[in-house]
Amino acid sequence: MTSIEREFQIAPIVQESVVHNSRTLFNLQSLTASLFGVGAGILGLESYYGFLFYIICSLLTTLLFYVLRVAPSSLPAGKGAFDTSQYFRSPYEFWTGGLLNGLAGFILTWTLFFGLVRA
Amino acid sequence: MTWISKTITVFGGLLLAHACYSAQEHSALQSLRAATSTLTSSSPTAAALPVDIAIETVVATLVILLGLVLGTRLLRPIQWRVWAGKIEREGEEGFVDNEGEVNKDYVGNPYRILETRPGFVDIRKQRREFAQWVKNGGSGGAGAQ
Repeated sequence: MTSIEREFQIAPIVQESVVHNSRTLFNLQSLTASLFGVGAGILGLESYYGFLFYIICSLLTTLLFYVLRVAPSSLPAGKGAFDTSQYFRSPYEFWTGGLLNGLAGFILTWTLFFGLVRA
Repeated sequence: MTWISKTITVFGGLLLAHACYSAQEHSALQSLRAATSTLTSSSPTAAALPVDIAIETVVATLVILLGLVLGTRLLRPIQWRVWAGKIEREGEEGFVDNEGEVNKDYVGNPYRILETRPGFVDIRKQRREFAQWVKNGGSGGAGAQ
């Protein structure tokens, strides 16, 4: 038995909660990615600046989500700062998962609003 | 809670719509000026966005972002012991959504089946009763022939 399996035997995981949390984060990221596309289109960003804008805003979303939703209950529970293990299985999924989730929606609204504004 | 997030989101949406319209008007004005200034040979300046529209766009984006994050559903602990402890302590009150209603997928105490199952059946007593019933010739009850 590997150490990971033993860890799950000692502290079992609730699958429904994992799905619920992931879906909540996914919905937020999809919505906000479209929003950032609108912003980038209005600002008239082109090429790398648009993607830079998206990356910064996406990380900001995750940070805000952490501050408002994760931190209020995970810090009193004894978790360290930026520790999301109370609600998410892997920190990579939490911090960087949104970058790929919303990229398509971002590009869609980015090009749409760029075309609308600059036509 | 929900009206705060909705108000913030709507306010940000208004700001964003205003910024979008301003940018579109600015772009139209620039193209018009470029079309008419060919005669006067003024310098064809690039149609850079005015800084106030840019600031408004960024602020509107951040305001909507804040509203959307405030409107997300509350998270649930993924460790079974933390989750079950939360249910024991808070019951349904720990699983209300932003509208103040209990979540539809709230299942309650995960150990409910264990706690409400019937007590132990006295199987020896039942066997004794059955033996008594057989000894009496099976008369009475459904088994009587």
